[in-house]
Amino acid sequence: MGMFKTTEKLEEVLGGFFKLMADTPVIADKLLKSKLVIRFSYTDPDLVVVVDCSGEKIDVRPHDTDSKAIVEMSMSSDIAHRFWFGMVNLTKALTRKEMIAKGPIPKVLKLLPAIKPSYAMYPKYLDENGFEQYNITKAYKPPTA
Amino acid sequence: MGGYAGQILYIDLSSGRIEKKPLDMNFARKYIGGLGFGTQIYLDLIKDNPEFDALSEDNPFVLMTGPLTGLKMDGVARWAVGTKSPLTGFWGDANVGGYFGARLKFAGYDGIVITGKAEKPSYIFINDDVVEIRDAQKYWGKDIYETTDELSADLKSESAKPGQVVCIGPAGEQLITFASIINNKRHAAGRTGMGAVWGSKNLKAIYASGSGNIEISDPDKLKVLKEELKTVYEESIFIDAIHASGTPAHLDVGIISGDIPIKNWQMTEWDDIDDIGPGSIEDKIFAGHKTCYGCSVACKKDAEVKDGPYKMDKGPSPEYETVGTFGTMCLNKNIESIAKANDICNRYGIDTITCGATIAFAIDCFENGLINETDTEGIKLTWGNSEAIVEMCEKIAKKEGFGALLAEGSAKAALKIGKNASDFLTTVKGLEAPMHDPRNAHGYGLAYGISPRGACHEASLDFPVEGGSMYIPEIEELAVDIEEMSSDGKAILNVACQDYGMFFSSCAIFCNLGATPLNATQALSMVNYVTGFDYTLEEIINIGKRVWYLKRGLTNFFGARAKDDMLPKRLMTEMKDGPTEGSVPDMEKMLSEFYELRGFNKDGVPKKEVLEGIGLTTLAGLIYNN
Repeated sequence: MGMFKTTEKLEEVLGGFFKLMADTPVIADKLLKSKLVIRFSYTDPDLVVVVDCSGEKIDVRPHDTDSKAIVEMSMSSDIAHRFWFGMVNLTKALTRKEMIAKGPIPKVLKLLPAIKPSYAMYPKYLDENGFEQYNITKAYKPPTA
Repeated sequence: MGGYAGQILYIDLSSGRIEKKPLDMNFARKYIGGLGFGTQIYLDLIKDNPEFDALSEDNPFVLMTGPLTGLKMDGVARWAVGTKSPLTGFWGDANVGGYFGARLKFAGYDGIVITGKAEKPSYIFINDDVVEIRDAQKYWGKDIYETTDELSADLKSESAKPGQVVCIGPAGEQLITFASIINNKRHAAGRTGMGAVWGSKNLKAIYASGSGNIEISDPDKLKVLKEELKTVYEESIFIDAIHASGTPAHLDVGIISGDIPIKNWQMTEWDDIDDIGPGSIEDKIFAGHKTCYGCSVACKKDAEVKDGPYKMDKGPSPEYETVGTFGTMCLNKNIESIAKANDICNRYGIDTITCGATIAFAIDCFENGLINETDTEGIKLTWGNSEAIVEMCEKIAKKEGFGALLAEGSAKAALKIGKNASDFLTTVKGLEAPMHDPRNAHGYGLAYGISPRGACHEASLDFPVEGGSMYIPEIEELAVDIEEMSSDGKAILNVACQDYGMFFSSCAIFCNLGATPLNATQALSMVNYVTGFDYTLEEIINIGKRVWYLKRGLTNFFGARAKDDMLPKRLMTEMKDGPTEGSVPDMEKMLSEFYELRGFNKDGVPKKEVLEGIGLTTLAGLIYNN
């Protein structure tokens, strides 16, 4: 069993974070320039989220299995969660097939510097939105009873 | 037997004697090729007269191909050179791609052993059976591009097949201790000053042309393997990335983990990184894809700057390491200026890592008041001053003014600058560290420390394995889950990366970029199908181990001790923020474990019985009887 017990909770946490990034100009402006449509397929628990950067605003669409994506990324929800803390060695994860990517990957790699600020945002987002138990950074202190 | 050309050339420049010695297949089986051959031959040549300066005629030079060099397959175009380094004073070697290795084998030779010193500037002409030492005075003083073009044109009519030139530029002639030798204007044996050794021997170039081919022992099995590898390569994200953007693709990935040294290793984050990243390279200087012999990966790129102060004709584009040393290390966000500095280095023939890192060191000295504009003859060596960086690069290449001091490398320059200049050094054993930060992956620190040639990410496979681009599930130590920012388990990881790495990138000689997707089974099968040998994984690891001890032992014999295995202060300083915040390799722990695993004494030298136990009795005698 992964860190997230249900698809609903995963969608709430990660889907919410994607929407926060979509509303953060320093990140969103660069993502929009890429015009990419990326489908993330998570397992354990399962969830599909499309992040559509092809329009004027980033559109985050959970459960969208129909629309055509330019890039497909598959991974466990735990790997995805750790990624947003900056704790995943992306090269290693891709080499060891912990992440599977299909599509114009060099274009995706070029987005990495753009999303770098999100690593600092994620733990803060978790703490501020009632998801403290998912904050795995060393700075996190679980609330005492 | 397949794979081998069957002869090694021995050329003594002092006497003019040229010998073609048949390759002994027992020797081939025992050492595989590349620096497996080269280190053993080198040891045999120096054992009776082991005390010499790197730039003396007594220093032999070996140039070796591997059994796969010259085959039309991905990631096997490489060849290797080795000798005592004039930069470090220890064993030095470099591994290079391009086309020369293939041509040398087509001419019928697996390698060249060069001894002595020519009376006047000379080049070696090879066209199948014809091997001659010729006058090179016409080419002396000319840069790499001019020499390559002119020699190729002048010799075209003398060989049925097109030849390949490998040469030195003015930097090698002037004995700049980080001079490189370069094939086809872009493929550089860059590190540790191999070009200066050629300069000291009055050797300007080698031209090789051949009409032969390379036999494959089991072509049917190789064909099946090549089919299997098609899928492996198609699925490799790493290959996809370096095909699209070349090695600078790492700028996008490395900035996430804190792998990229910035401001002479004082920062790991920089808002301007995109200005010199793959996107900017594509937009501003990209001018086409290039490759090495037989390789479809095509990770080499051309660049062109059409106008402005950094105008340069279409030519080799800067690699990741070069963008790092002339870019991030100097806080230089002008990609055109980096392309220009790369162009200068290629034309004069100098190592871009040492050159750029030495300029970053000099900027640190300038900014901290250790040197001033009087010293630099008016050049304001400040962070991000693109114009000054390019100007100083040219002065180094020409050995002019303050550039002449920096042309000795940063370690020697620090001694002359004095005060606390050594605080700004990034060298191990006198070699400037490459652009991968051990604070992001502690095993890199150990790899830099114990590398026989000095701080180097290519001296073993630790960088691709710990960094994640390579996965070798057949070797237990390389298949474990690695925690990068920890020093636990890194000694045993490094040992395994050295032993397998010596087979992979020094002996066989696979490319650490184009052959990255291969696992051990595939790499080993390729060697067996080509050569007809029946190596086992255990056997090649033992061969690799022996080569590693031989390189390390030569470096020890030339004077390196435990103190030379330490990282400089700059690489050991804790970052206060960013991805590597608070992370510093525990060198004491890793070195202690490593010495134990390798059977070293406290001085950092392999024990006599350890060397004798793996058949290096001659080396043991040299180290312990001198």
